[in-house]
Amino acid sequence: MLRELACALLLAALLHAATSAQVASVLQPGTSPLVVFRVVFTTGAAFDPAGKEGLASLTAAMIGQGGSRAMSYQQIVEAMYPMASSVDWQVDKEMTVFSGTTHVENLDRFSALLKDMLLDPGFRPDDFTRLRDDAVNFLKVSLREGNDEELGKEYLYNVIYAGHPYAHHNRGTIGSLQKLTLDDVRDFHRTHYTRANLVIGLAGGYPNGFSQKVESDFEKLPGGTADKKRFDAPRLPAGARIQIVTRDTRSTAISVGFPIDVNRASKDWPALALVASYFGQHRSSNSYLYQRLREVRGLNYGDYAYVEYFPRGMFLFTPDPNLARQQQIFQIWIRPVESQNGVFALRAALYEYDRLIRDGMSREAFEATREFLAKYANILTQTQSARLGYALDSRYYGIGDYNTYIRDALSTLTLDDVNRAIRQHLQTDTMRIVIVTKDGQAFRDAVVKNQPSPIAYNSPKPQALVDEDKVIQAYRISVKPEDVVVVPVERVFE
Amino acid sequence: MTSRGASASRRLAVALIVLTGFTTAAAQQKNNNLFPYEYTIDDLDNGLRLVTVPTDYPNMVALYIVAQTGSRNEVEPGKSGYAHLFEHIMFRGSENYTPDERDAVLKRAGAETNASTSADRTTYYEIFSKEDLEPVLKLEADRFQRLRYPEPAYKTESLAVLGEYNKNSADPTEKLDEVLHETAFTKHTYAHTTMGYLKDIEDMPNQFNYSLQFYNRFYRPEYTTMILVGDLTRDRTLELTKKYFGGWARGSYVPDIPAEPPQAVARSATIDWPAPTLPWIAVAFKGPAYSDEKKDKAALDLLSPIAFGQNSDLYHRLVLDEQKVDTLIPDFGNHPDPELFTVYARVKNAKDIDDVRERILATFARFTNETVDQAKLDATRSRIRYSFALRLSSSAAIANSLAPYIGLRRTPDTINKLFALYQQVTPQDMRTIASQYFKDGNRTIVTLTSKAARN
Repeated sequence: MLRELACALLLAALLHAATSAQVASVLQPGTSPLVVFRVVFTTGAAFDPAGKEGLASLTAAMIGQGGSRAMSYQQIVEAMYPMASSVDWQVDKEMTVFSGTTHVENLDRFSALLKDMLLDPGFRPDDFTRLRDDAVNFLKVSLREGNDEELGKEYLYNVIYAGHPYAHHNRGTIGSLQKLTLDDVRDFHRTHYTRANLVIGLAGGYPNGFSQKVESDFEKLPGGTADKKRFDAPRLPAGARIQIVTRDTRSTAISVGFPIDVNRASKDWPALALVASYFGQHRSSNSYLYQRLREVRGLNYGDYAYVEYFPRGMFLFTPDPNLARQQQIFQIWIRPVESQNGVFALRAALYEYDRLIRDGMSREAFEATREFLAKYANILTQTQSARLGYALDSRYYGIGDYNTYIRDALSTLTLDDVNRAIRQHLQTDTMRIVIVTKDGQAFRDAVVKNQPSPIAYNSPKPQALVDEDKVIQAYRISVKPEDVVVVPVERVFE
Repeated sequence: MTSRGASASRRLAVALIVLTGFTTAAAQQKNNNLFPYEYTIDDLDNGLRLVTVPTDYPNMVALYIVAQTGSRNEVEPGKSGYAHLFEHIMFRGSENYTPDERDAVLKRAGAETNASTSADRTTYYEIFSKEDLEPVLKLEADRFQRLRYPEPAYKTESLAVLGEYNKNSADPTEKLDEVLHETAFTKHTYAHTTMGYLKDIEDMPNQFNYSLQFYNRFYRPEYTTMILVGDLTRDRTLELTKKYFGGWARGSYVPDIPAEPPQAVARSATIDWPAPTLPWIAVAFKGPAYSDEKKDKAALDLLSPIAFGQNSDLYHRLVLDEQKVDTLIPDFGNHPDPELFTVYARVKNAKDIDDVRERILATFARFTNETVDQAKLDATRSRIRYSFALRLSSSAAIANSLAPYIGLRRTPDTINKLFALYQQVTPQDMRTIASQYFKDGNRTIVTLTSKAARN
């Protein structure tokens, strides 16, 4: 009975994507004692003014981890403490989200704090200094010197989008951050934190009338104009390019990618999402690349493929929502390998990718992956917070309820559709590759000279694999010597 | 060699414990238990325990299988990291399923599946649609009872473990934690990390026979608890558990985990990190083991956020006001044996290392002398209550929140007992207990710096 009621409410909620005269909202009322807030502004790092990279992110940090006009950050932390709540923030290229969950018993106190933080920020100098330092140290220390995988993945985006509004890391660059001022933050807030960019997301057991009150509170924001800029695909010169980032590390991380003309709103997105799942489902042994590189050869901890931006992938099993963006890349992530196997691992990834383009998917693989994805949508949207996040993203892309959208799309998808999408969207013409390793020059020499890169195993392998390795170890990496560049890590994110 | 199904008894003595609780949102608010869901416990006579938690979250089921084996159980020298290695090997095939067949079943189920290992337990999980309950349980039963992995596959998987070590190795806090534990512990197996020493990982390919022994010792029903949460009934989970796990033979091995002798003098270590980093300091005192009956652990749990959390005076001064530190985190986990109460700090300028260390030490000393403000204690109890409630956001999240407690006491009720204990702790208790544990002779400090930070 309760379950039926919950289902009915959920259905009603999914249909309830409201746009009042003043404030847009996505509402998912339910019976849970937990209430989720996701307050989205459709603005982000792509709107950082030139020379002020990192401003969107620092502005969000000042709101989420700084004081309001009435309360210092310490006072906000103290007020949140007995509720075990906080306001988290995330900035991507075109979307900024403030999220938090509270127990319904604390709803009034939590929503008052959230409102105060978002609508009346304090923008204090001491918060600014602290949070700007945090951003610099995140790039300079945590990312550049403490996590080779995320370093390679993020730098790949910088390389692919060079000269594009997506070019810089969402947190900015080390140089630009140091030039930002508190006035820049105030300007960005005034210009972009507007009703035109706002979508309020609410889910859970909040009382009748609560959503209207929140909407009415946010009417205080200036109307403004929406950040509706069109971002085109980057125009990359043809031919593969490799950047080898050097730092003192014991292994070699590899990221490969190129822009695709497909996002979640595109007709071919379900087909490409299915291809990426088959080829490299995130953190799953159920994928082709993982099987060939990790399971059969023991090269590393995992090997995955993506059609959407998925930051912090080493810490997460499912992606965070509200990273919606117009432009996406197809990405292959090869987790760190022993450095003596670095060139072999890169060749193996390219070899398998070329096979995918050449052979497409089999009927068996297509059907198994389609069945998987239809059910896996339930896992992606298990929590209220995730369901709300996906609903906000669906609103952005204009695709309706995500689970219905993906199941409907999968049910009519054919193997021919998928193999046509592979031929149409996957290519090698503008492939960009980022390597993170200690001896960058040796890696470069091996690549430009196309030296064989044999691999040795600690156990006997089947003859078929030995034969395949002979092909892979000499697999030609088609790149001009001048397009293979060694980059000291100190120059990344500068 | 590893088959244990054939000789096992099929007779099952089932002990049923039903605890009161409520499943609706309104009822949860009236329920004083920290864990608010109804659940059942069923013990099979081979020692396997089944905990079933039906929820209102539709369609989905989370299966968590908790094996009470972690790096704590690795008692032989040179054999660190085997509990974790086994977490990997368990995906390498069983008598009735090759790895490919296993993957195919889980792919059809649209399942998320993975596993994790800690000092005290290894946890395997699958999250899937309710109609796939039987095939998933059948699959899991096979690998827990009849794991079959050829030596070449074992050797290849040991390389994936090395790959995991490699991907972690860029992070200086991994090294900080390794050195902290090997300095603080001289006898107990908490001296080594769950990942294990690099030299032991590199030797794993040569230890195939030892791996079989490890499986034979610990992958036994008496070490195992199954947690099933979601859109299901206890009758069905019990029927399937009997059917597929009932024949699993009980084992006999009990590891002789050496007790850590009392520490007499303070210890310290330094790490010279090769890459640029901000300096890290870890200040640790040996603390009490987990208990839902004695106040020691509960009192220090309550003190941890008050003294060192985001709302503490120390955080306020070091992170917000003076901005000398950008990360200040207390860590005091629940363990069956005494482990460390540690405060980690990342210092923004190397010249402040000594000052930050002394301020952390002064804060430990402060709470051995001062009593905590009653209002702050009440706020902390409230925080613990809501923090747990906020975590129960899906069937998988409920199972995931239960797993560590199941690893300790094999029952969700320990959560409620612990919460009741928190209610009994007084500010005076906290001061008395802090002074018992935060003594110089109980202390270990590790400092990690790089050349770049010292210049």
